[in-house]
Amino acid sequence: MLRSAIRLLAAGTIAVAFAGSAAAQNQADWDKVIAEAKKEGKVSLYTSTLGAPFHLDIIKAFQAKYGITIELLDVRASELDERIRTEQASGRYNADVVQHGSASLLTTYDRPGILQARGTVPNQKNLGTLFAEGASDTRIPSYVLPYGILINTDLVKGADEPKSWKDLLNPKWKGKIVSDDFRALGGGSVFFSVTEDKLGKDFHEKLSQQGIIFSRDVGNDERRVAAGEYPMRIPQLASNTLRMKGLPIKLVIPEEGMTFVRFDLGILKGAPHPNAAKLLTDFYLSPEAQLIYANAGMGSVINGVGEKVTSDAKAFAGAKFLGTNNPDTLNAQLDRAKALYK
Amino acid sequence: MVAYGIPSVDARPGRFRFLADALVGRLGVNISLGLLVLFLIFLSVYPLAMLFYGSVHSTPPGAPGEFNLDGYRQMVTAENFQVLLNTVGIALITSTISITMAVFLAWIVARTDTPFSRQWEVLITLPFFIPPILTAMAWAMLGNAKIGAINQFFKWATGASFSPIDVYSYWGVVWHLMQYGIPFLFLLTVDAFRAMDPALEEAASMSGASRWRVFRTTTLTLMLPVLLSAFVLSFIRGVEAFESALFFGTPAGVKVITTTIFDSITQRAVPEYQLATSIAFSVMALMFLLVIIQWHILRGRSFQTVTGKGYKPKVIALGRWRWATFAFLCVFFFITTILPVGQIALGSVFKFVGFYRWNMLTLEHYSTIMNNGELWRAIRNTLWLGLVGATTTMMLGTIVAYVTVRTKWRYRKVVDALAWLPWMMPGVVLGVGLLWAFAFLPRNIPIYGTIWALLFAYLALGMPLASRIMSGAYTQLSFDLEECSRVHGASWLQTLLRILVALSWPSFAVGWVLTFFGILRELSASILLYSVGSEVLSVELYKLWTNGQAEQVSVVGLMLIGLVIIFRWIQIQFLNRQISAI
Repeated sequence: MLRSAIRLLAAGTIAVAFAGSAAAQNQADWDKVIAEAKKEGKVSLYTSTLGAPFHLDIIKAFQAKYGITIELLDVRASELDERIRTEQASGRYNADVVQHGSASLLTTYDRPGILQARGTVPNQKNLGTLFAEGASDTRIPSYVLPYGILINTDLVKGADEPKSWKDLLNPKWKGKIVSDDFRALGGGSVFFSVTEDKLGKDFHEKLSQQGIIFSRDVGNDERRVAAGEYPMRIPQLASNTLRMKGLPIKLVIPEEGMTFVRFDLGILKGAPHPNAAKLLTDFYLSPEAQLIYANAGMGSVINGVGEKVTSDAKAFAGAKFLGTNNPDTLNAQLDRAKALYK
Repeated sequence: MVAYGIPSVDARPGRFRFLADALVGRLGVNISLGLLVLFLIFLSVYPLAMLFYGSVHSTPPGAPGEFNLDGYRQMVTAENFQVLLNTVGIALITSTISITMAVFLAWIVARTDTPFSRQWEVLITLPFFIPPILTAMAWAMLGNAKIGAINQFFKWATGASFSPIDVYSYWGVVWHLMQYGIPFLFLLTVDAFRAMDPALEEAASMSGASRWRVFRTTTLTLMLPVLLSAFVLSFIRGVEAFESALFFGTPAGVKVITTTIFDSITQRAVPEYQLATSIAFSVMALMFLLVIIQWHILRGRSFQTVTGKGYKPKVIALGRWRWATFAFLCVFFFITTILPVGQIALGSVFKFVGFYRWNMLTLEHYSTIMNNGELWRAIRNTLWLGLVGATTTMMLGTIVAYVTVRTKWRYRKVVDALAWLPWMMPGVVLGVGLLWAFAFLPRNIPIYGTIWALLFAYLALGMPLASRIMSGAYTQLSFDLEECSRVHGASWLQTLLRILVALSWPSFAVGWVLTFFGILRELSASILLYSVGSEVLSVELYKLWTNGQAEQVSVVGLMLIGLVIIFRWIQIQFLNRQISAI
């Protein structure tokens, strides 16, 4: 008995020692990455999140922490794809890290083999359950764009306020809903994709009878709702709603949850600053960076940020998610949206 | 027997020989012309060749695939035929109304004694220089069927329950395009009106023609090259217009070629470049037909109005009618400039554009812009690119125009065609062609990823307009002027400066301003070619716009309007006089 206990104790001690040694080794390896990253001095980040102020805040925070310069190139998604594809095809390896919608990063970058294996980064352990499964050795979630329903509070009051996505089918909203185009890539197509999957095809057959007004001028459409031209807009980005504070609008979070677009990070093949790229990837998953996202109305991908956000962003920080689009059914769903919404 | 132009051309009897001929000989001149052609090929044929490859290959350059014509097959659908009809209809209506208005405005400003005509010349062109997204925003607030200010006013004033205007429609697209088409065509034609030799009109009058007939049969006929050229430029711009159709056409279900191309690139899980480039090349072929028709109409006819014989622009005294034309200008200015610019100006001093409450008055957008380091870096880059790019483009355009109009060089039509090509390719596609072209250059040619990529792109994009403007100006200049100068002992350089430069200066200046502000506004190629450190204004503005900062974009829009006024004032009040005095 005693002998068994001693054996167990010894085994435990050895395991702890190994674990401690492995952790120490990991830390030493990571310290080496940091040291190499600092030697590289800069990292080039290409992102399809165009001109977002929170990017600059995160860049400043990273630069302040590590003294490594981030060269940010932010362009529209389609241009980003062609630019990186062209650079890779012509052997011009200018970019280190790419940040893109998860579907595009998978289909346009990962599957064609232009991302390199990243290895585990320390903050990866912070990922929430929903997002940990989206991480692979080449891709890792960095933040999400959550979408709800924008209403004009002067025109939609009390009991009229939609509580569910299904409330959009109410005949009183016929011809009164302005929407991001379901037939084009973006928030609209993600909404179509998710709600078709989760609420059934029947939902869109009915919604298509509601005389939805499609537009792609997002900023202007939000103002049209605030000005009272339309009582509501779908799908509405939470972060944009925060910017409109002071206008008679409100973001409704449907009971089924918000649709969302997840933005992932990947390190490109031939990245000239691979260590700085890893360090930047890790920094994006830090509570510090995720809090910047959350305060801007984005969804955090790590646990424990919701309690620290500003009061304005609190409403969205703990919101339930309905889902995001499936990259493999994207084109088919775009075609169905085109057929249904003529 | 010397041609004042390219020497190999010497076919023009009784002309001077080009000075360069004497200096470096025929070989040197031929080498210069060869270099010019090579440079034009680099700027226009090379990126177009990359795009052509994209249209006949299943994947873009650098990706494994196969040659096929799937893109061309795919584009032949009933839906796309409707799209073509929409596009041609919009371009035709826009160009026809715009050129009619522009000619009338140019005539008022350049040929009549309407009060303050010099000031009007600057003021009525202002809408052209405002970023389209801003005027779209302004007109969305003014002409919105439900809550637009004009409709609200109409309902209040008349008691009517209907809205007479809806910018989210086919006609909304036409109207928004006209905001740019009229000042653009005005700028292209006004100096040609001013350069008209009155003797020709007087001769027609002396023969008993009425004032209207003189205007129709003499003035307009002599203006034919300029008008036709301007119309063709405007029509092609109309076919390639993007923002107006996207903002006002999409909500109304009005699709045009550029939005279809845009959709095929940006709205599929995998961008369909083969389809996009196939559509673009088909459009290009149609546009080229149009240009050939234009060449055919102008072939073998002389349109020289500026000769050595007592050239002095004549101003028509309108008497009491000058106040009618003045009133017309006021109304035009109010509708096309004051209304939209007023919205932009208001938007810049309120927290939110369109929400004008006292408690929302603020100057924070101005201070935010002033403290936006990235934006100012982009402004510095853009001003450098604008100054160097516009000057280089106009010089190149001048050389191209000189070769094509003032010489009989055997390949001058080739030069003309090379200069035209980029104009016929929609910007959303040409940007991709330039990206492919520069990225696939040998690594020891350091253009991609540098500010030079933008400069060459702007050269390619601006060259067609520059060469058209200068061709129009040279077409009006009589060869006698150069001959006379040389006969009286002037050197080639003196003749160049005192005749060709001095007399075509107004056109050069207008072309320079158009090119300069074209560079400031260009987005399609810029967003694909800018790199870290070479950010440009249009990209930064687009970023602000995308992030819902319409108010800050309004501030920059007002700054651009201020810049236009300063530039045009300097040009009209100072430089024109200085150059004329050479």
